[in-house]
Amino acid sequence: MIKIERRNETSNLIYFLTPVLAIFLTLVTGAIIFYLLGFKPLEALKFFFVTPISDLYGLSELLVKATPLCLIAIGLSFCFKSNNWNIGAEGQLTFGGIVGGGVALLFYNHEGVYVLPLIILAGAFGGMVFAMIPAILKIYFNTNEILVSLMLVYVSKLLLDYLVVGPWSNPEGFNFPETRQFSDSARLPILFEGLRIHAGIFIALVSVFLAWVVLFKTYLGFQIKVSGLSLKTAKYAGFKGRKMILLVFMVSGACAGLAGVGEITGPIGQLHRMISPEYGFTAIIVAFLGRLNPIGIVFASLIVALTYLGAETAQIFLQVPKYTGQVFQGMILFFLLASDFLLFFRIKLSGFKKYEY
Amino acid sequence: MNTKLKVSKVSKIYPGCIANDNVSLDFESGKIYALLGENGAGKSTLVKILSGVINPDEGQIFLNDKLLKLASPKDAKNNNIGMVFQHFNLFETLSVFENLSIDSEKNNDQLRILVNNILKKYNFKIDLDVPILNLSAGQKQKVEIVRCLIRNPKVLIMDEPTSVLTEQETEDLFLSLKKFSKEGILIIYITHKLKEVLSLCDEVAVMRKGKVVSISRTVDEELSSLANKMIGESLNKIKKMTSNNLSGEQILRVSRLNFNSEDPYEVNLVDINFTLNKGECLGIAGISGNGQNELFQILSGETLSNSGSIKFRSKEIGKLNPKERREYLMAFSPEDRISQAAVPSLKIYENVALNNFKTSNFFEKGLFNERKIKDHSKKILSNFSVNTDNVNLRSQFLSGGNLQKLILGRELITSPELLICFNPTWGLDVGAINYIHQTLLKINEQGKSIILISTDNDELLQLSDRISVINKGKLSKIMSAKEVNPEKLGLLMGGGLVD
Repeated sequence: MIKIERRNETSNLIYFLTPVLAIFLTLVTGAIIFYLLGFKPLEALKFFFVTPISDLYGLSELLVKATPLCLIAIGLSFCFKSNNWNIGAEGQLTFGGIVGGGVALLFYNHEGVYVLPLIILAGAFGGMVFAMIPAILKIYFNTNEILVSLMLVYVSKLLLDYLVVGPWSNPEGFNFPETRQFSDSARLPILFEGLRIHAGIFIALVSVFLAWVVLFKTYLGFQIKVSGLSLKTAKYAGFKGRKMILLVFMVSGACAGLAGVGEITGPIGQLHRMISPEYGFTAIIVAFLGRLNPIGIVFASLIVALTYLGAETAQIFLQVPKYTGQVFQGMILFFLLASDFLLFFRIKLSGFKKYEY
Repeated sequence: MNTKLKVSKVSKIYPGCIANDNVSLDFESGKIYALLGENGAGKSTLVKILSGVINPDEGQIFLNDKLLKLASPKDAKNNNIGMVFQHFNLFETLSVFENLSIDSEKNNDQLRILVNNILKKYNFKIDLDVPILNLSAGQKQKVEIVRCLIRNPKVLIMDEPTSVLTEQETEDLFLSLKKFSKEGILIIYITHKLKEVLSLCDEVAVMRKGKVVSISRTVDEELSSLANKMIGESLNKIKKMTSNNLSGEQILRVSRLNFNSEDPYEVNLVDINFTLNKGECLGIAGISGNGQNELFQILSGETLSNSGSIKFRSKEIGKLNPKERREYLMAFSPEDRISQAAVPSLKIYENVALNNFKTSNFFEKGLFNERKIKDHSKKILSNFSVNTDNVNLRSQFLSGGNLQKLILGRELITSPELLICFNPTWGLDVGAINYIHQTLLKINEQGKSIILISTDNDELLQLSDRISVINKGKLSKIMSAKEVNPEKLGLLMGGGLVD
């Protein structure tokens, strides 16, 4: 007989160390996989995790990828902490990109300092509105937000597809599925000449700080925490449950929208089909790896961003598909959930002998 | 064949409570036996022992003089003991037949023939291929019964089977049970409803505080004698000295309050009317699951009602949520202290911050004022004798009694005009119970009012000035605690009427 029991106490230190353990296990498993594929495991891991960030350009790329991941995960942490399962950040990112991109196209021949802030606000607003759909449906019709938010991802992606192929496609673009290039005033400034790292990183850092203040220092954060731990208690305390659902989705959507608009006004500079390599989904892993804690999320976003870069390097040097990156992301989440399970529960085997783990 | 079931000197002891104390009972087929008792009398424990869910500390069970080893529910099944629980164990989205076939070793064709025969024999009208969720409660129960009948039971145990049934379904059930009994199945019927005992059963064993206090034939009993046995005679001695400072000033008025739930396991409240005066304690008695939960939630504001139905002082508060009601100086102590009144993984001071009043200034300009909350928490810990002064302790490490003191302290430290509490001493040790009773008496003396919803009759009689009984979502006439006697209480709790 196998019995699963809840553990009485889990220490805070271990709680924040298990993500590290999960990463370690991922590396070990990764090494085994590379070995089975016929590579030297250590060398392959080096190509994957060290080579990409061994020069300035690589470091800048790491931050370019970590920026949207961090922003989205910060937003998601508001949802996840309060037991609202927003799985559709990718859709909110896309919709934010569409709205922000629309404004950028509107101003494609304008110059002025007002253009960029307008685009950014529009992007945040777009993501926010798009995230309100699953929230409102949940509040008034008791729909499942996981399904609704996930399905809306495909709605926004198809909308983007339609726009870049049809009405918004570049009139001088030889029918390529992309819009015009945005004007220079519609672009986030580059921080260092020759590198792609852009001012979006400041938006991410500010949001980390704000999230930390809100989650740990305010009544709203307290309400979010209590609702996540026990909805029954939240109800008994008289917290306004519906308002909170709407609010956390709005925050989450706005962050995803910001990430989307940061991509198109940052490294991309126009709208096309592939404005995000699934940042919205990967950010779910980042949020959990960072323990839904803003500071943790900063580190987690750097680590997960590295898997994106590593996959590219590995594709070049080892000729393995770039989807290896997703394998690593999947393994991190798997090991994190598995070690969490063992952290909160113990497995008891009883038969002729009793073992305790 | 004749079936004899013998329970011999069975005891089960939990920390702080003897659930079954040397229980011996004899059952014989051809009769329907009632097992009668209040909440916590030990009925469920005995039933769980008979069905192999828990193991007794002492004692044996014999079936036809053979010693039974009931280590698991499977053993009970293999010994032809069938059990229908109060809450159904069915997969809602699977069909009736799929549910029946899950734990059957027979192949599907054989099983279908068998089930059809059973349905025909007892005139059960159930479509085998519809999902369970389309069935009424009565039909679901029939599916559970059929599941037992497939295994040719010698003993059939029914645990509070009518609590979810309509009158008509109850009558149907009784007819079926009588039929089973004639066919030689031994039936043990667990209930707290006195009328059912008299109309259905042949013999009745009454349990109180873990002991069997009486075994008799139902023809020798009547409602009042059963009520007396169920509640016990000792209660008269411990009544409250009714406070003499009742001012007669009305503080709460509930009028024409109705609640219809969409959840079949919740109880609808029907036309609740009562008033409460300043400095008074109104006790609401009843067997659990008769609407106490729903009533508490409506009074606390977790469930909203018509704005006119609840009036606190001169304000209509039906539409206000708990936080808003607290601002008007109401306080609430729910039954579930562990996961509702507090969050176990939060620290003491965080649990204290759950009650955030406008005047308490826990959050200055929206920011958490940790020092203020901690000072406030320390005050609660010392004023209400919680045996720690560490406000950073997670509340999961507090004992039940200390947790309840913390919760009551949190609710009372702001001097509310009205405290509504639900089973405040449930599961606590004597010392803690005593402390909490003293606290409640004290706030009454200070002119504050209390509504005490409780399933503990001793407690109600000790603390209440007036008492009403809730049964199937209806409140009985409100009686002065002086005129309440065990007989009246038992009758009202069992669904009877008192003139």
